[in-house]
Amino acid sequence: MIEVKNITKKYGDFTAVDNISFEVKDGEIVGLLGPNGAGKSTTMNMITGFIEMTEGEIKVNGYDISKKTKKAKKQIGYMPEGVPSYHELTAKEFIKYMAELKAVDRKVRKEEVNKVIEETGLGEVQNKLIKNLSRGYKQRVSMAGALVGNPDVLILDEPTVGLDPKQILEIRNLIKELGKKHTVILSSHILSEVSQICERVIIINKGKLVAIDTPENLEEKSQNKNVLYVTVEDKNGKMESIKEKIENIKELKLVKDNEDGTKQYKIISDVENDLRKALFDILPKEEITIFELKKEEVSLEDAFMKLIEDEKENNKQNTEEVEDKINEKNVKTNSTVKTKKKENTDKKQKNKETKKENSNKKQNQGQVKEKKGEEK
Amino acid sequence: MWAIIKKEVKTYFLSPIGYVFIGIFLLAFSISFNLELASSNGIIDFQRIFIYIFTYLPTILVFAFLIPMLTMRSFAEERKNGTEQLLLTAPVSITKIVLAKFISALIIVLIALLFMVMYIAIICHFGTPDISVALVTLFGFILLSMAYISFGIFASSITENQIIAAMISILTFVVTWVLPEFLNSGSGFSLINMFYKFTTGQISIAYTVTYLAFTILCIILTITVMQRRKSAR
Repeated sequence: MIEVKNITKKYGDFTAVDNISFEVKDGEIVGLLGPNGAGKSTTMNMITGFIEMTEGEIKVNGYDISKKTKKAKKQIGYMPEGVPSYHELTAKEFIKYMAELKAVDRKVRKEEVNKVIEETGLGEVQNKLIKNLSRGYKQRVSMAGALVGNPDVLILDEPTVGLDPKQILEIRNLIKELGKKHTVILSSHILSEVSQICERVIIINKGKLVAIDTPENLEEKSQNKNVLYVTVEDKNGKMESIKEKIENIKELKLVKDNEDGTKQYKIISDVENDLRKALFDILPKEEITIFELKKEEVSLEDAFMKLIEDEKENNKQNTEEVEDKINEKNVKTNSTVKTKKKENTDKKQKNKETKKENSNKKQNQGQVKEKKGEEK
Repeated sequence: MWAIIKKEVKTYFLSPIGYVFIGIFLLAFSISFNLELASSNGIIDFQRIFIYIFTYLPTILVFAFLIPMLTMRSFAEERKNGTEQLLLTAPVSITKIVLAKFISALIIVLIALLFMVMYIAIICHFGTPDISVALVTLFGFILLSMAYISFGIFASSITENQIIAAMISILTFVVTWVLPEFLNSGSGFSLINMFYKFTTGQISIAYTVTYLAFTILCIILTITVMQRRKSAR
């Protein structure tokens, strides 16, 4: 269990991590996600006690990292970015050293080291010098160093960077396996990886927390419309008229004219309307044969980009909001001057309109506030 | 802490540094020993032989160049390779880490000094030297080593470049050695000059305290640097 409360890290005027709070429950695998320089490593370094935060509080299994440092550190196995290790040692020597450093009991130390070597698949290379190992094995050695001593919490900073696809797969499986017994926080900027391994995702951008949710929910959230791709054989050219038959189609567009006489269309509707059923019902009646029907997958990449862009827009809106208020006042004074000159009926209409505008604006502001509230 | 000491001593011998240190150390003192015997024309002053073995040249070589070589990597290398992240996130306090680094370098010096017992054995074989003088000299030598090792480790903690760490220690040692001579004041603060009191067979309480105080000061400074860096990183 990791509790992170309002942590901030400042370097002079630069704020690397800005008031971030989250919780990781026991046995959970959580992904820390963000573009380069977002503050992922800084956050992890603060959890492990390598860096001291400017403000805030971090508790690992109930132990405060700044007050009960030793006990808190004992709960953590840390694999830093760039997998540093002592290159002049062999893999086994390094793991043994890490075990000693973590004060693993002398009686079980040997056993523990061998167990970790087995778990990380280092058996074949355990007596080779680390400097002679390939990148993938170095990564495993570093992972083994974090694992030894069986800490409750594992913190892995970019565990799959620089690996080939096969190694990535192996490391991922290893992490999944570890997640059954440990609490894991891993950072990554590869979104597909996070969605595969992690149960929850924490998205950070420019030191700020953007979202915490499951990968599925994040993908769902970023969907604001349903997009279907349908490939049909349409001998009579009736496809264009479908739009009138199914009400909810917002947009129907020809995407591809295939050589075999089929055509692919893109159909867009609102989120709440899944048109697949309607299409299957109606198209055959119009003598249109469906070859393929698929829903556009919203990837975590899209969700991520959308969240980050949303945040930018929010910031913009905040400044616009202030400008709006000033403009609003001007409009009010102007309208009162104008209405005096005009007829009564006109006056009423105008008033109605301005009221509408005002209420609209209020609504908008409300939404912005709501969004802010969500962020907080 | 024991884990770090063990690993550090081992690393000294996994790289050439440990061997080079002991090799040059012994070579310097052996030459000095040999020259002393050669120039004595067969009449050996067993009482004072240690003063001559530990003449300026080999001692200064050891302290000005060999000890910085030994200590330059202690923290600088860890920082450069990023292994300090492993070290500083382990459940070991910074004080213990610094002490472990200090003790492991001292162990290397002690190993080298162990070979010096060879000279005592040779002298004993041919005559009856004053063993107490020999022991006091070695005691002084150890104190001086502690002072310089602690400073070398401090220099290593303030940079990530080993060469810069070594240069800081070498320059400081050379300056503190040369400056009192230059200013013509033998009583100036010169760690090396203090050592010569010990070669006469007298344990100077004042100098012992000075050495220990200097050592403790450097260790505390190193600990402070490491702790300050935690919030500045």
